[in-house]
Amino acid sequence: MADKTSAAMIQLDRVTKSFGSFQALKGVDLAIERGQKVVVCGPSGSGKSTMIRCINRLEEHDGGRIVVNGIELTTSVKDIDAVRREVGMVFQQFNLFPHLTAAENLMLAPRLVRKIPRKEARELAMHYLERVHIPEQADKYPAQLSGGQQQRVAIARSLCMKPEIMLFDEPTSALDPEMIKEVLDVMVELARDGMTMIVVTHEMGFARSVADVVVFMDNGEIVEQAPPQDFFHQARSERTKAFLSRILTH
Amino acid sequence: MGVVVEWLNAFLWGALVILGVFFVALVLTVVWGLIGATAKLSNSTVARGIANAYTTALRGTPELLVLLIVYFGSAVTLTSLAKFVDPSVKFVHIPPFWAGSFAISLIVGAYATETFRGAFLGVDRGQIEAARSLGLSPFQTLFYVRLPQMWRLALPAFGNHMNSLIKDTALLSVIGVEEIMYTADRATTITNKPFTMYLVVAIIYLAFVSVIIKTVALLEIHANRYLARAR
Amino acid sequence: MNFEISLIWESLPKIAEGAELTVRLHLLSLVFGTVLALGLVLMRISGIAILSWPAFAYIYVFRGTPLLVQVFLIYYGLAQFEFIRASPLWIILREPFWCAIIAFSLNVAAYTAEILRGGIQGVDQGLHEAGRALGLSTSQRFIHVTAPIAIRLSLPAYGNEMISLMKGTALVSLITMYDITGVARTIMARTFAPYEIFISAAIVYLGLTWLIQRAIAHAERRFSRYVRA
Ligand SMILES: Nc1ncnc2c1ncn2[C@@H]1O[C@H](COP(=O)(O)OP(=O)(O)O)[C@@H](O)[C@H]1O
Ligand SMILES: [Mg+2]
Repeated sequence: MADKTSAAMIQLDRVTKSFGSFQALKGVDLAIERGQKVVVCGPSGSGKSTMIRCINRLEEHDGGRIVVNGIELTTSVKDIDAVRREVGMVFQQFNLFPHLTAAENLMLAPRLVRKIPRKEARELAMHYLERVHIPEQADKYPAQLSGGQQQRVAIARSLCMKPEIMLFDEPTSALDPEMIKEVLDVMVELARDGMTMIVVTHEMGFARSVADVVVFMDNGEIVEQAPPQDFFHQARSERTKAFLSRILTH
Repeated sequence: MGVVVEWLNAFLWGALVILGVFFVALVLTVVWGLIGATAKLSNSTVARGIANAYTTALRGTPELLVLLIVYFGSAVTLTSLAKFVDPSVKFVHIPPFWAGSFAISLIVGAYATETFRGAFLGVDRGQIEAARSLGLSPFQTLFYVRLPQMWRLALPAFGNHMNSLIKDTALLSVIGVEEIMYTADRATTITNKPFTMYLVVAIIYLAFVSVIIKTVALLEIHANRYLARAR
Repeated sequence: MNFEISLIWESLPKIAEGAELTVRLHLLSLVFGTVLALGLVLMRISGIAILSWPAFAYIYVFRGTPLLVQVFLIYYGLAQFEFIRASPLWIILREPFWCAIIAFSLNVAAYTAEILRGGIQGVDQGLHEAGRALGLSTSQRFIHVTAPIAIRLSLPAYGNEMISLMKGTALVSLITMYDITGVARTIMARTFAPYEIFISAAIVYLGLTWLIQRAIAHAERRFSRYVRA
């Protein structure tokens, strides 16, 4: 157990994934150390979502190996549950449970999965709502919150399960511009606290200030993978350069 | 109106019988509907086939005929089974109350199957993914995330199903359930006032239906409360 | 107990004879009921209280009570009144056939009016405004813009109502008539083979239901020509 820290926290070896005859991932290799922050970018349809969804098995990969925190993802239900407990996920569309208040959204999984009593779960929920700076919204329903607030609740909901890894799939893409910052700020704080993170985003400012590695995907492959300084200033591939020039102008 | 007063007690008892049938059938309807919807959405061709046959047959056959099949069918089956054990047995049947409740629930369950199927599909996939990624089991996801959102979607149509349930109870005197049609029938032979008596029946049903409509409207407000925006 | 397939084959033709009555009841009630529904829905949406209120009450009452009660009220109930038995209408009102037709028509009218109202409400408000902008009068807008779209929107529910009515006609077997169910019940009383006999009857009904579904699908295709590319 002790040497787990030295091995990669997340390891993808030649991972492939097809939807019918369409191959969405064409042999992806990626290794992420504990505490590393990886930003993934690339054109729409390039397989970014598919890749991170494979990591907590919302999608099943059909070739290669995925190892998360020492557990290889196979069809074993027990392993999948174990992995899901360690991996939090934040979605573009928030996916808050509309029939539960913000606090109840946070309490549900700790109570059901970790079997924590209601009162403690509530305390846990309030702790994380404070961390995302909206404790005062605890008893509102998602529909009564702004998009930015909803996404922060969603982040807090994942944190309540005390995951070792957080996955973000375009967490700010569905937000109005004025709300993007409040969500990114929370993510930056999370990064400072040492969380291992994979973030699919086109917020290049966030990538510059937080990422250890920036990954560019195109067409189901990782085309380029480098620390941000190198990535932004001396990208090697033409596809990366073309993408960057498009995305950085606006 | 004087004649009605004399029969008021009998109508009241009949109305209670109807309520009994209604609640028994309501529970069974929900059960058939959930099983049917699950089967229709399952990956199993056999389960889907059975569920499709069920909904097609029960939505295309008159309610009266379904009632007769269930009641007399079960009676014939039970009688021959009983004769097998004890040849002196003449006739065994399921009590009409239960046979009737069962038949009505089968009929309305076919409609509820479609309603629940739609409601299952109406809950966003992202909800299920979020639950699963938080580590909830499929059963927990169903119970705590899908069902609570489903019933809001199912409610308007399900209100109609409840009205069908209550109105279908009017058929039960045909198999000898002593409900209000039966009361009216008895009262008519004695008083010779069929219009008055069946009018009482109509009024009782109208009252039941009104209560259901009002209840469903209140439930809808309750079910939608979390969707109301702030202010 | 043994299930005799042969009994199904023997009884099917006899039961199918009852289908003629079933179909006659169905078609006549459907036509009368639909015509009545058109009047009802116009009253209901007229915006004039003395028209819309009675229409609302009518629809509420007929949808809120069992069809069997309505049939019994007309067939058994009306005889309670001396003046009806004395009137020339009695020739019709003592016939179970016409009583059934009246009850079914009144019932179908209520449901159909509500279906049509849903269809009319479903028509995009923008189209009304477009019609007004083009200078069409209220009635022109209704006939040329609202009605065709409302009919298309109403068709699926109307199809279900046709099937409902088909099933409802089985109730005439309780007022001395020999439709599909009526014939089946007499054979059943003789043979006491409920599964075989009643399932034969159900097969005939399912056939009729299937025909209705085909007809509605056909109508939907016709009415939605302009929707498809
Ligand atoms: N469930 C699915 N069924 C079929 N095709 C899918 C499915 N999910 C994704 N795809 C396809 O896989 C490709 C990659 O999708 P995705 O990973 O969502 O891309 P990105 O997140 O980079 O925009 C796209 O072409 C998409 O159409
Ligand atoms: Mg994506």
